[in-house]
Amino acid sequence: MAEFPLPDVEWPPTREFWAGAARGELVIPRCAGCGAWCWYPADACRRCGDARLAWTPVSGRGTVFSWAVVRRALVAPFASKVPYATGLVALEEDPTVRLVTIFAECEPEALRVGLPVEVIFRTHAFPGIEGEVVAPFFRPSV
Amino acid sequence: MSASRPDAAWGRAGDLPDVSGRVAVCGVGEADHSSASGRTPQQIAGQAVERAIADAGLTPADIDGVMFSGGMGDSFDADAFRAHFGVDHEIWSSGQGGGMVWAGTAPVIAADALASGRARHIVNVFAVSWATQRASMLGGPGKFHAEERFKRNLEIPFGWFPQPVYFATIARRHMHEYGTTPEQLGAIAVACRRHANRHPGAVMRDKTLSLAEYLERPMLVDPLRVEDCCLISDGGGAYVMTTPERARDLRPRPVLVAGVGEGYAGAGQYWSQEPHFTATPQTFSAPAAFAMAGIEAADVDVLTLYDPFTIVALMQIEDMGFCAKGEGGPFAASGALDYDGGALPYNTHGGLLSHAYVLGICHVVETVRQLRGEAAAQVEGAEIGVYGGYTGHMASTLVLRRDA
Repeated sequence: MAEFPLPDVEWPPTREFWAGAARGELVIPRCAGCGAWCWYPADACRRCGDARLAWTPVSGRGTVFSWAVVRRALVAPFASKVPYATGLVALEEDPTVRLVTIFAECEPEALRVGLPVEVIFRTHAFPGIEGEVVAPFFRPSV
Repeated sequence: MSASRPDAAWGRAGDLPDVSGRVAVCGVGEADHSSASGRTPQQIAGQAVERAIADAGLTPADIDGVMFSGGMGDSFDADAFRAHFGVDHEIWSSGQGGGMVWAGTAPVIAADALASGRARHIVNVFAVSWATQRASMLGGPGKFHAEERFKRNLEIPFGWFPQPVYFATIARRHMHEYGTTPEQLGAIAVACRRHANRHPGAVMRDKTLSLAEYLERPMLVDPLRVEDCCLISDGGGAYVMTTPERARDLRPRPVLVAGVGEGYAGAGQYWSQEPHFTATPQTFSAPAAFAMAGIEAADVDVLTLYDPFTIVALMQIEDMGFCAKGEGGPFAASGALDYDGGALPYNTHGGLLSHAYVLGICHVVETVRQLRGEAAAQVEGAEIGVYGGYTGHMASTLVLRRDA
């Protein structure tokens, strides 16, 4: 088990998400039966019940759904990150799928709902905490 | 507006039996509320129960039912009750009580026990010492979320944690959809503080807050300031339930349970995936409770809402039908929430923001005191009071009525 707040990249339900990120790919479970994107991961499709879900690459494009700017760290490991903008991206393939992310390469003041964004993969680590992970962040589309 | 949405399938009301007129609240008590005090939840709960029993004019031997929060490890259960009071009589108990949504729905469980004769006087109690525990991070409101593994692996690594971050994100979206402003959120915080300034037991009794001061405060998690967020407290409360008939023989003026509702949102505990990101399951809970009570939103004289953040209160006010969806901001800024002359006197004890973060139990205590005419910030002539509970994907609504 990875140390908080790093993810446990071996936990089966989200292992493929982190494995995808490590090779620079954003992958989301998709139902082989009806084509629905299934987020968060589940044992069966929430729309049709089909258990054939396959981790499938997406474009990495989306729009800002909403965000918050953490000015004061509420948990110690994030003290080195403040201020940072975290929030939700609505995916281009299905805007009802919202990814939690960190918004990078822009001032928080530049964010607005509906802003087009694209994924970037960043090495994510915390001072004093062992390990690191490649994580999908988002930046304004260029 | 709030009752009819394009996608009504996003949540549902719970199926509760009609308990209207079957339960009375005959005693209320609140423990001493404080910042870190070194007290244990058991000690705090015991003090609240002592005070509720005394308020009812009863003795510990009269209490033969205990309701507590079964979801929290250090709850005040029947054994704790016997140990605290040095009694050994049989006590019916239920873990479906305590605070949060259960502070509102406990009377449904109690109604059954009272009707069947399993208990005659039931105390519902809730206490926390999260201020004391905060330093060690042993307990507190963030613990549950930190241990949930989807949050742990898909949210927390991105700093989307803990609760102030969730609700800042929700507040931002509400601002986008409806034009809600910081001044409007601030109006809620200021109303709570003004009420707490009158309440002898409120943690923020001696600290005033004006809207100008609110707006000058720095952002904690933009767009929320510290003043938009609940306290972290040691404290608790309790209320005693019995039948209306027995309550009429006791000292306090009886307050009757007129209606109860509960509501659930479909996305469960993941706010990030909630289809109606800026709404709460009060959308389903409040209409059910109001129907059971035979009232409309306009009949409510005083409202207490589980208010971990100003935005949560604002959304519930809209979803319960006190104003149209999206108009909670202007409604709050109009002065509607003031105890003295507002259209909807709200959290007249100060709420979780300024009274104490004891998770709703003292909201019910305050509502009862209002209907008895004994509140510190008394709403003149209050006859119908409502508590709205909120716990993420769940909401509850308790309608109380002054006995005729």
